[in-house]
Amino acid sequence: MEDLINKLKVAIIEGDEEEALKVTKELLERGIDPKLIIERALEPAMKIVGEKFEREEYFIPEVMLAAEVFKKVMEFLKPHLGQEVGEKSKGRVVIGTVRGDIHELGKNLVATMLSVAGFEVIDLGVDVSPEKFIEAVEKYRPDVLGLSALMTTTMIEQKVVIEELKRRGLRDKVKVIVGGAPVTEEWAREIGADGYAANAYEAVRLVKKLLGVE
Amino acid sequence: MPRPTISLLSKNDIELIHEKALEVLEVIGVRIESRRVVNLLKSYGLEVSEGNVVKFPRDLVESKVKDCPHEFTLYDREGKPRLLVGGDRTYFNPGSAATKILDLRQNTIRDPTLWDLRDIAILVNELENIDAQSTAVVPHEFPPETRDRVRLYPLLKYSTKPIVTGAFTVDGVHDMVKLLSIFISDLDKRPIAIFDVCPSPPLKWSEVTVENLVDCAKYGLPIEIISMPSLGATSPVTIAGALVQHHAEVLSGIVIAQLVRKGVPVVYGGSPSTFDMRYGTPNIVAPEALLVSLAYVEIAKYLNLLTHTYMALSDTILLDYQSGVETGISALVACLRGINVVSGPGMLEHESTQCLEKLVLDNEVCGLVRRFSRGFNIGIEELAIDLLRDVGPGGTFLSKKHTVKHFKKEIYHPHILLRYDMREWMRRGSPSLLERAKQEVEQLLKRGTRELPPSDLLQELNRAINGILRKFGITVRELP
Repeated sequence: MEDLINKLKVAIIEGDEEEALKVTKELLERGIDPKLIIERALEPAMKIVGEKFEREEYFIPEVMLAAEVFKKVMEFLKPHLGQEVGEKSKGRVVIGTVRGDIHELGKNLVATMLSVAGFEVIDLGVDVSPEKFIEAVEKYRPDVLGLSALMTTTMIEQKVVIEELKRRGLRDKVKVIVGGAPVTEEWAREIGADGYAANAYEAVRLVKKLLGVE
Repeated sequence: MPRPTISLLSKNDIELIHEKALEVLEVIGVRIESRRVVNLLKSYGLEVSEGNVVKFPRDLVESKVKDCPHEFTLYDREGKPRLLVGGDRTYFNPGSAATKILDLRQNTIRDPTLWDLRDIAILVNELENIDAQSTAVVPHEFPPETRDRVRLYPLLKYSTKPIVTGAFTVDGVHDMVKLLSIFISDLDKRPIAIFDVCPSPPLKWSEVTVENLVDCAKYGLPIEIISMPSLGATSPVTIAGALVQHHAEVLSGIVIAQLVRKGVPVVYGGSPSTFDMRYGTPNIVAPEALLVSLAYVEIAKYLNLLTHTYMALSDTILLDYQSGVETGISALVACLRGINVVSGPGMLEHESTQCLEKLVLDNEVCGLVRRFSRGFNIGIEELAIDLLRDVGPGGTFLSKKHTVKHFKKEIYHPHILLRYDMREWMRRGSPSLLERAKQEVEQLLKRGTRELPPSDLLQELNRAINGILRKFGITVRELP
């Protein structure tokens, strides 16, 4: 079994979807607990990918491809996990790019990394109005709301959303994190957000810290 | 595969300059300041007039040019083929024989030592766009008559890359061959070093360089003939005139080399400069000097010869705006024209100062220009229509196998040159370019693989270098 677990880890790290699914199938056929597969292969593999990224050994495409394969394997495992799947989630995150802004690359990276890290991510897409954010918060009751803005002209929308949450009495129901090229720690404090992260990996660390999960 | 190019001379221009150089060699001739070589040339039937001026008949020149190989392989210390010198491939090596070092760790300009050359050897061994080592600095702690040969020691000890070198004593080549032969016995078949020899403009070979030329040819070692006209001082100030002289000098070297040993690899090189009429300094990467290089390279390529120049360097004294722009422009010219051997990275101040931090920055400049000059492939795989269909309008390419497969080859990623944004820069503590270069030097020196040779060869190398030094009455307590 160790062999297969290792093989699966390597397949995910190298972004080899075909091999990853083949090995996963084999593991299931041998009666290995899917939870064990996630703990012993999937999570460690993504941890290694993250470390490689931080050492600048892996670049964005390699991380994204590995994440894609990770997601595919997860989907494949889902039916075998039973109802435990909900308990497994470390928390729920609603994320979107603010109104007037159609940049999605950074937001997508954060969403991917969060879901890889075990969070349930609901992605509202780009050019999301404050009303839509509010609706989503009411509907999904997320632990964290992520607001992305790439332009100095749309940054102000992050503030608008936070004000709107306050007005509706929702502000203390959800942690708000902000990100995007022009956004700074200072800006986050000024508008009353709970946190700011400079990149996708920091975003994962931030969410974990805010929710007190490992 | 489309590839950007640069060109200068027409066929008529080339033939005119070649013709004029042949005329110079036949009518004016070249002075040879070595009795031994003059006698040798007499024995080959060449006419020598008063003042040891040797005339080279055109037929002889033309036939000897044809004897030069169109390519040759440089091997590494372990005998493995490393660089195929030829075609339009460009190989960079550090600018050589600097008499000073810009030491940014001590913030001073000082005399270099053999320890500096060890550091350079370790760096070059790690730098992906510096293809060969060079005897880059002159170690001042050794007596002048030993400085050429001791330089091979750290290069052979710390790196496997081939070497660009040269002697500056009459008998230097023999000891240098002795050191190289420890690793490769048949240097004439598997050369691991190129030897530079420089005529003294105008139209003269000094005793040292011409004896080196003959010795290298006898050993069958690849020779780089580096003519160095300084426009207005040691050559006509006009580019065309400098070019005729440059061409004649290199051709004279080619004839001598091929007479001594037919088929010995010869690289047509140069280090032309403008002579600054205010300060009396040679400016190697002034635009006029680049024109001379570009022109002689085209003449050489027309004659099917291998080429070399001094570019990818700067004439200023510090790492600043000027050093960057001069290094970048000249490196680009060299790479676009496909000059085979380019000496220069790390070099400052009119080819007199080496700098470790510049060397690591130049490695990235070489990477940029090399990437640009490579052009791009147009094939089914590169056109990526299937991929476009797969992603569709509005999708993303980041997580695609095609991207992962190609991005590192298609896109060059420098890592000292800044590619991140202001925020990331601040997160990293706002390091200046210089600080980033210093950090890179430290890291490479620390993690430098120090590819030491097997212990028996290392022992032999130590014995040989100590033997050579003892000949000059020197004992060294510790070698780098």
